[in-house]
Amino acid sequence: MAIDDKVGRDAWEKLGDFFRARSIWMMWYCTGCGAIEMPPTMTSRFDMERLGMGPMATPRQADVLLITGYLSTKTLRRVIYSYEQMQDPKYIVAFGSCAINGGIYFDSYATINKLDDYLPVDLYIAGCMPRPEAIMNAFNTLQQSIRKGEADGWKRYKKNSEFYKENQRKAIGEVFVHDEFHE
Amino acid sequence: MTLMNFFNALIFVLFAFFMQTSITGVNRKIMARLQKRRGPRWYQQFLDIFKALSKSSISHGWVFQFGVVMAVGGIMATVMFIPIGDFRAFPGTDNIFIISYLLAVGMLGMAMSAAGSGNPWASIGVGRALTNMLAYDMPFMVVVVTMIFAFKTSSVGEIAEIQRNIGVLGWNIFRLPLGGIVGLICLQGMLGKKPFDSFIAPAEIASGPMVEYGGRQLGMLFILHELMTFIEVSLIVNLFFGGGATLLEYFIKYFIIYTFANLVSGISPRFKIDQAVTFYYKAPLLAALVQGFIVVFTGWGVTKWL
Amino acid sequence: MTNSTSNSIENLKDLLTKHYDIKEFEEPIALQLAFNIDKESALDALAFLKSQGFGQLSLLTCIDWIESGQFQLVYILMNWDNGIHLQLRTFLDRDKPVFKTIQHIYPGVKYYERDVHEFFGVEFEGNEESYQHLFLEMWTADPPMRKDFDPVKYSDDKYSMREYTTEFPTKIGGK
Repeated sequence: MAIDDKVGRDAWEKLGDFFRARSIWMMWYCTGCGAIEMPPTMTSRFDMERLGMGPMATPRQADVLLITGYLSTKTLRRVIYSYEQMQDPKYIVAFGSCAINGGIYFDSYATINKLDDYLPVDLYIAGCMPRPEAIMNAFNTLQQSIRKGEADGWKRYKKNSEFYKENQRKAIGEVFVHDEFHE
Repeated sequence: MTLMNFFNALIFVLFAFFMQTSITGVNRKIMARLQKRRGPRWYQQFLDIFKALSKSSISHGWVFQFGVVMAVGGIMATVMFIPIGDFRAFPGTDNIFIISYLLAVGMLGMAMSAAGSGNPWASIGVGRALTNMLAYDMPFMVVVVTMIFAFKTSSVGEIAEIQRNIGVLGWNIFRLPLGGIVGLICLQGMLGKKPFDSFIAPAEIASGPMVEYGGRQLGMLFILHELMTFIEVSLIVNLFFGGGATLLEYFIKYFIIYTFANLVSGISPRFKIDQAVTFYYKAPLLAALVQGFIVVFTGWGVTKWL
Repeated sequence: MTNSTSNSIENLKDLLTKHYDIKEFEEPIALQLAFNIDKESALDALAFLKSQGFGQLSLLTCIDWIESGQFQLVYILMNWDNGIHLQLRTFLDRDKPVFKTIQHIYPGVKYYERDVHEFFGVEFEGNEESYQHLFLEMWTADPPMRKDFDPVKYSDDKYSMREYTTEFPTKIGGK
């Protein structure tokens, strides 16, 4: 769902996008089985820090949320919690085929099929799991789209919030964590 | 105190920020080569700071926002009092006590705003940071008082000049060797690098005091960290390594000492906070006291030197 | 070594047939013994086996026999002294599956009973916490591991799928 009224970016936003494209901090939250491909990407062999990316400990400090793999309803509740704590401008990159159309868990009662209905995704990476070379390629693409101003997932989330909230409520009920550790 | 002094001071702060941030970027590359990878660009730290300043930020009340501003303002004021060679922004005000007193403003400002955020991880991190400060200040102050007694002056610039009179062997690291070693150990604690960085601890307490910061406050906190690093390394360069007669000499010494501290942190694990405190109160404090006795009772290194 | 363990398996079989009415034993693999017991004496048998040295409850799970209309609970116990695994199986009625809790015998079974309750709908009397959810939050449909629960239909209803086009400009093998 793109923004219909194409308001151009003013000079501050272009300058901000210049900086934001070259220094992206990911949140240290590895949601699914695809997180196994993150350590090779971060360490010596396929060094992610060359692109300016690095991990940060909390959602408040992070720019990009990497959804690595399938999302069960329980995880989705907590991911939405964390996504709403992040500060604008923020991006989401979804790894693997489970976020695109359900992947190998398309017939499960506990996993969602199409992530686009619940959170605004900026980039999908195909694969099960994508290899570190594919992930580095995708980060390059993400950087270019940020530089051009096309990565506007956070704007879409704010503009179409009724759409997203309605879908979230239909699929996972209430986005409030009720478990015995919180109560 | 003319307008020229203030102008000089402002330029000096900008220069200090620029120098330290570039050196941090280069050190990230050095650390990456230590770990057999490539590392980011040398100006990556600038990009990080400006990116953080360009994000929107949340607010937890006026204490939260005021604390960071107070910390950055205090540290900027402290930077103006550091001497380099013959250059002083405000002549006559580079007293060691002014600098160490104002250095605490940065820590306290961060503590205030972390407490204002209300997150329990922040309180734990801030408690550890202040305990850390208590630990490293003791041996360091003993060495500093020894030096003030030895050279009969408490101005940082004059102590640096006295060392330059004899050449390389006049540096305090050779005159007061135990004191120099204690100074370098305390530098690790002051900079908050491993093994003494338990108050940042990303995976344990979710980065401690920085947990609720995002956006503008995080950018300001990074600037605060860079300026504090500049002050602390400059103190060590001036007190133990003879300062710098020219800017180039100062820059070389600064770079070597900061890189050395970074390399030590790259291969060390992390101490728990109680281990760090007991460490500082054992060997470094003993070495500082021994150094003090040597200087006071025998004068070796001060009056009896080449 | 095998002599003593096969002796102990024989001893075990004799001991069990002496006290309880068991029709047949199975030995799936070496050092494992499985038997079926009726519901009323299952609780007694578990307490008896605990006193015989079967101190660890490895697993509690349930099998849905939908054709005969029964649930089968399987308790797997292990003895640390001679390494024998014992599978104790009981049948429950599928329409009203009720059993007693064995928390006083094996305290760690608390979470297994919550698991079986949540996925099959078996009620364990005496375990008050078994009505809290363990894995599934805010679940309102049927217990999902039953064979008459259709996960594909549930998934299609609740979670939207992505539409795909099935008409492509070229076909495999050329025009």
